[in-house]
Amino acid sequence: MGEEIKVIVFKLGSEEYGIEVDKVQTIERMLPITRVPKTYAFVRGVINLRGVVIPVIDLRGRFGLEETEYTDQTRIIIVAVNEMEVGFIVDSANDVIDLHKDKIETPPEVVGGIKAKYLDGVAKIGDDRLLIMLNLSEVLNKNEIIQLESLEE
Amino acid sequence: MDMNQYLSMFIDESNDHLQSLNENMLLLESSPSDLSIVQVIFRSAHTLKGMAATMGFEDLAALTHQMENVLDLVRNEKLAMQDFIFDTLFKGLDALESMVQDITEGGDGKADVSAIVSALQAIVRGEDPSAKPQGANAQGEARASDVNTALKLDEFQYAVLNQSIEAGHRVLYIDVHIRENCQLKAVRAYMVFELLERSGEVVKSFPSTQDIEQEKFDFSFSLYYITTKDPAELQRQIIGISEIEKADVTELDAETLQQMSEIGAASQEVAAAVAAPPAAEKGQEAPPAKPEQAPEKAAPAAKTPAKTGGAVPTRTIRVDIERLDVLMNLFSELLIDRVRLEQLSSEIQNHALTETVEHMTRVSSDLQDIVMKLRMVPVDTVFNRFPRMVRDLAKSLDKKVDLIITGADTELDRTVIDEIGDPLVHLLRNAVDHGIEPVADRISAGKPETGTVHLRAFHSGNHVFIEIEEDGRGIYRDKVLKTALKKGVVTEEQAAGMSDEEVHQLLFAPGFSTAEKISDVSGRGVGLDVVKAKITSLGGQVTIYSTPGKGTNFSVQLPLTLSIIAAMLVKMGSEKYAIPLSSIVETGIVKKGQIRAVHGNKMVEFRGSLIPLISLSRIFNIKDFDETEEEETEIIVIHKGERLAALAIDQFIGQNEIVLKSLGKYLPPIKGISGATILGDGQVALILDPNVFIK
Repeated sequence: MGEEIKVIVFKLGSEEYGIEVDKVQTIERMLPITRVPKTYAFVRGVINLRGVVIPVIDLRGRFGLEETEYTDQTRIIIVAVNEMEVGFIVDSANDVIDLHKDKIETPPEVVGGIKAKYLDGVAKIGDDRLLIMLNLSEVLNKNEIIQLESLEE
Repeated sequence: MDMNQYLSMFIDESNDHLQSLNENMLLLESSPSDLSIVQVIFRSAHTLKGMAATMGFEDLAALTHQMENVLDLVRNEKLAMQDFIFDTLFKGLDALESMVQDITEGGDGKADVSAIVSALQAIVRGEDPSAKPQGANAQGEARASDVNTALKLDEFQYAVLNQSIEAGHRVLYIDVHIRENCQLKAVRAYMVFELLERSGEVVKSFPSTQDIEQEKFDFSFSLYYITTKDPAELQRQIIGISEIEKADVTELDAETLQQMSEIGAASQEVAAAVAAPPAAEKGQEAPPAKPEQAPEKAAPAAKTPAKTGGAVPTRTIRVDIERLDVLMNLFSELLIDRVRLEQLSSEIQNHALTETVEHMTRVSSDLQDIVMKLRMVPVDTVFNRFPRMVRDLAKSLDKKVDLIITGADTELDRTVIDEIGDPLVHLLRNAVDHGIEPVADRISAGKPETGTVHLRAFHSGNHVFIEIEEDGRGIYRDKVLKTALKKGVVTEEQAAGMSDEEVHQLLFAPGFSTAEKISDVSGRGVGLDVVKAKITSLGGQVTIYSTPGKGTNFSVQLPLTLSIIAAMLVKMGSEKYAIPLSSIVETGIVKKGQIRAVHGNKMVEFRGSLIPLISLSRIFNIKDFDETEEEETEIIVIHKGERLAALAIDQFIGQNEIVLKSLGKYLPPIKGISGATILGDGQVALILDPNVFIK
């Protein structure tokens, strides 16, 4: 038996994604965002989270998904990885589940339009729910973004 | 000139360097062929030498210089490390340590280092000093240091004894031996003490009274004693105590006392030397002995014999910068709440509330001053030591140099101040040694005989600039390139395509030195590369501006890690930005008709000259504001040093104290934005870095 982990479940469109709970600092409703010019396109700006300035990125934008209007359900998930604090804007976040590590399987090449390297794996929960586990270090990998940017130019 | 304020700094830095010297020497001992360690040691020694010379501790500097010579040979692979070299160097280190210790305790750091110096010189000449004795001097010193801990008198004790002699009391040096078969030696010792205390005062004993009470001694102890009693009588009484084998009582006069305190140890040899038959007592029964008086009288006298009391460095505590950061963060939060409260109270209009908020505002601005001051130090604390250094330097090089310091009250974060001293010393030495020409050369070049070195510090935007400018010979491109080629720093092809600026930067390349002969001052090729590395590690830059024949300017740009700054808040459409007040010259309004185009760039007239008008809305892609649509545009004139530019903005909000926050580690540095701050309404505003807009 593998160990059991707690996972925060959030949605982008109809897909469900998971982040390990110990990497999540807090989940916030939408806050006023100050735009930051001349930076990555998917960076929405910075927010004031109880006195700390934290950049927020639109996860849809990061994965190249179509961006949508923010709603009442929109949440900012503040994660802390490699000493970086970043907020992710997601469509909704309203579940915490327990998950056995063995249940996480290697992902196929592309899941819901997201490249496999951003993923830790895919877990089947219940009968027809599929949970996509994010690889946060890869999502926040700056080297890759720089390459991406230079390709675009 | 008052050295005290940077004495503590010198001590801190010296201790750090000594520590690193020791560690690296040990490292080197385990891998003697690793020349990179030698480099590190050499640099530490070099810096230590510079600091010691600046502070006027000549013995310290002299010894370090000799050690440096040895290390230089090792570094250049002209000498292989051997055991005896290590031993000598370690001995040197020990001597350095005790000198710094002496300085810490308020002494003048003088010590006889001639033995070690000559040993080091012998190594440089290629001799093995262990083959022959190093002369009486070294031996004497070694022996003295063996017993160094024994009966060393401190300043106060010396003063007390000296005073007592002057007052006509007898000062005795007593050496007591207890029989080795004694079971309760502590008790016997106690009895001796008790006997002595009855008719005088024990000033100092070795071992200490505490150790004696706990039997931590080997059947013998020595002590200094003030009394009016006859020494011979006293000796008889001590021997009268059972199980006491022997008691030597020696009377000291002022001269012998001084000798003993100078040696720093009353070794038994010394005692024996003066133990010549207790000189016929002159029968001068001193006035009723009141030993308690002695210390009182000694207090004023303590100042005369040795160093003045003021030499002891200011009492400070070293606080972890991290704690100060926490304090600063907490305060920042308070400040944000304060601004919010002010806003609320002005909306609510309640008299009592307004009053309370106003009081809180005053208290918090006092608190802010303190919190800021904890971290900020005027560069003066570093600059202060330079006039002396430049003077001595100019003298030793037979040059005439005026050092003109401006902006010494410019404040910098303590962390930066601590680090910037060494690089500035190097740059100044460099300016005097390589920049300023000898008097004859200056006259033949038609320059005034006295060279001028300007040392300037000033704020600009979020940076502090420190410039060292001299009117010396300047940097000749060809000469630099020739040396660089010779040293293999650049190739011929590279050299041809280099701009002047790039050529100047070659001076900072490791192992580059244009001085033909090694002087005491600079020119070993350490120095400039270290300077650059240090400044870069502080997040700064060094730029060289030079005109051949006219002089050179080393401009050091340092980040101002101020956490709270005064700023002008401005609005650009729906977005708010903060501009550091330190960069702002003036605010104003220009009409559309006043804006001119010069070579396609927009310019406005400001005080009789044309300055560029910069469109922030275009640079930052601000969607809901475009100044070109306005008939009148608000502008903020900013400066970087002497150069000016105008920023077109939408609206002024007002002046405010803002708390500098970083944008977090995730975002890459953004040109023109130096950070963020949180406004009274809880929103984040970005802080502009105006320096970027002025080219």
